[in-house]
Amino acid sequence: MSRRGNNVRGPTSALTEFLRESGINPTTIARRVATQNQPENQSQDQTVAGPSNSGDNVEDVPEEEQLEESAPRASNGRRGRGRNTGYASDELDEPAEESPVKKRKSTKGRAPAAAKAKAKKKAKDDGEYEGSSEDEYRAMSKNLWSVGGNGSPKPPAGSFETCARCQKQFTVTKYTMAANPPPGYLCHHCAKASGTDPFKKPAVPRKRINATEKRDVVSYQERRFPSLAAMCIELITRYIDDVEALGDIGAVNMDEIAKALSKNRGLTPQNAHLFYDVLNKKLRFYDATNLTPNAMTTLASLNPNLTHLHLDYCGRLTSPVLLAFSTSMPQLISLTLLGPFLVRAEAWTEFFKAMPGLRVFKITQSPRFNLECMQALADNCKDIGELSLREIGLMDNEFADPLCSLSPLRVLDLAFPGIGINEDGWMKIIEMHGSTLETLDASKHEGFTDHVLQESVRGYARVLFELKLDECLSLTDEGVAQFFGNWGYPMSALKDEDHDMDVDSNPVEVNLTSLEPFTPNPPLRVLSLARNQELSSAALAAAIVHSAQSLTWLSLNGLRSASSEALAQLKRAKELCYLDAGWCRELDDFVMKDITTACTKLNEIKVWGCSRVRGVGWGVKRAIKVHGIEPSGGM
Amino acid sequence: MSNDVQMNDSCAEKQDDWVKITSSDGYSFLVKRSVAAISGTLKNMLSEDSSFREAIANTCPISERAAVVEKVCEYMTFKAYYEGPGSKEGVDVNEFTERIPPEVALELLLAADYLEGVLDSSL
Repeated sequence: MSRRGNNVRGPTSALTEFLRESGINPTTIARRVATQNQPENQSQDQTVAGPSNSGDNVEDVPEEEQLEESAPRASNGRRGRGRNTGYASDELDEPAEESPVKKRKSTKGRAPAAAKAKAKKKAKDDGEYEGSSEDEYRAMSKNLWSVGGNGSPKPPAGSFETCARCQKQFTVTKYTMAANPPPGYLCHHCAKASGTDPFKKPAVPRKRINATEKRDVVSYQERRFPSLAAMCIELITRYIDDVEALGDIGAVNMDEIAKALSKNRGLTPQNAHLFYDVLNKKLRFYDATNLTPNAMTTLASLNPNLTHLHLDYCGRLTSPVLLAFSTSMPQLISLTLLGPFLVRAEAWTEFFKAMPGLRVFKITQSPRFNLECMQALADNCKDIGELSLREIGLMDNEFADPLCSLSPLRVLDLAFPGIGINEDGWMKIIEMHGSTLETLDASKHEGFTDHVLQESVRGYARVLFELKLDECLSLTDEGVAQFFGNWGYPMSALKDEDHDMDVDSNPVEVNLTSLEPFTPNPPLRVLSLARNQELSSAALAAAIVHSAQSLTWLSLNGLRSASSEALAQLKRAKELCYLDAGWCRELDDFVMKDITTACTKLNEIKVWGCSRVRGVGWGVKRAIKVHGIEPSGGM
Repeated sequence: MSNDVQMNDSCAEKQDDWVKITSSDGYSFLVKRSVAAISGTLKNMLSEDSSFREAIANTCPISERAAVVEKVCEYMTFKAYYEGPGSKEGVDVNEFTERIPPEVALELLLAADYLEGVLDSSL
């Protein structure tokens, strides 16, 4: 018993800990045992006899628990009022008039010695639990205390009741206490005489602090003092017109400054002038959010010799600005924009007409870029070598023809379209551009099928080193496996195996390719098969066999059924620097150990959702950025 | 109990000692460890858990001119003072901004960008 005073506890077993946390302790167990033996002992007025509401005459339960057992649950309806009748959620904390602790004391004083001894003995037997049993059990039972001993709910305040001790009639108030021992209620005088204070406020039950509550969560950080970077930006902006004051800073640092400014979203129309120069050839802003349309027009006029322009987050770039670009920067050959969603279709068309020399055109998220724009691009910009139209909402199969009329592309990125290009379109596109294509991103195109891979990519791609096929839901495990398995061989070699296929496909092409000396496509350097749930071990294994020697960047995110054997083959990819193996459910620490030991250049790994990876036992000394290990993950 | 006290003492001592910050042109600056910890990068450099040379020697080289490093140290001291426990006085930001000569502002921005590093990294 002395344990109760302090909070010291010895080591406990896992089971003990679990039981304690679930609120199971000797008293509840005893009660269950007791009530099992004696169901329906109050049968006459209790309609539903749950296991928890019996027990007046249960012998082996200590006296002090008996009262608590008479739960008010079943006997509702007998009295008109709903209070104290069960666990209605809005009344849960209402009837807690009595201090459980206090009550307990008084009970003890008057309880028969035998029961007391029993309780003590019991407590000793389960000494381990004793310390905690106080916490939960009292808290749980506190609303049962105002209940009369016979299990019926306390009569409503204002009604008359006969005192159990002095037999006088008294008015029930909210301070009225149940007699102890039950049944019945005590009048105010008798309650006081029994040594309890009816007016005492219930003691607030000691609450166990959950681990989650204990954790120190910093939901926000008060910044009373601006960061040094912010202050510098302010200062630079203030002195922007006085270029001399800022001192001379090399062109090398310009990009660094641009990054530092953008990181703080500090690039403003005022300080953007810092980066402007008539002689500038290249300009990149990492966050142009604060640049107004006017500021962008100024950008164009103050940098007339720009050849490369890259603006991220250029949300305020409007149609007139784009036209100003075309008039003010005639030498522009490369334009990369992230988020030019205000530019209208006519403006794009005009822009392409005015910029026939464009070689690199990359835009992301432009919902108004439609077929006319694409056609204008194809008609006017004959030198385009790198084309990226990511997240274009209006892209559909009609885009395929203008894409085919472009000169052979080195980079083609049509990822995440609104509608997408279908199989035939892709066949044509790859046929046209395949021989020069170095980078291909066909993410989220339903039309990019096994057939496209096996016929077109295999047949035409010769210099491809980057292939991204995220979320191409038409791809199948066998198809992709077959593609990677056969890519290194000329088409004609396949002829004997499945002639049907080759008869179907264009026979002239096959003859042509077989006549030329065959140069297989080199192994890939960058491969992404993310979020293709169909793909599994076979495709992965074949891809590794094909490209292991040169693979530096690999994403297998979401290949949930890939087996650990196939994943273990990743150790052959010695050049691997980046690996995303998120949601590969079979991946475990043993495989990770193999991979991290074998792939010595690996510096970043993502294992989100790999519940078997716990990050133990890899035994690698190198610095590897690992993201996504669950601290108390899985199993 | 006596052990605990001793540990606290040594901890406090550790927090209270001085670290050296050197500039690329050979100047060195002595600041309190708690002041240096304002910068995420310096904090990580000096972290007990690491075996960086900086942590062992208690010396952090910053590859900037002395004029810039001086301002960085000044800023950290300023911030440590104003964000320290119990200092409820209002912060006069201008007071500090005025102390930055515009000619180092760009360099200081780069240094700040580097030194702020992973301020909130709890990993």
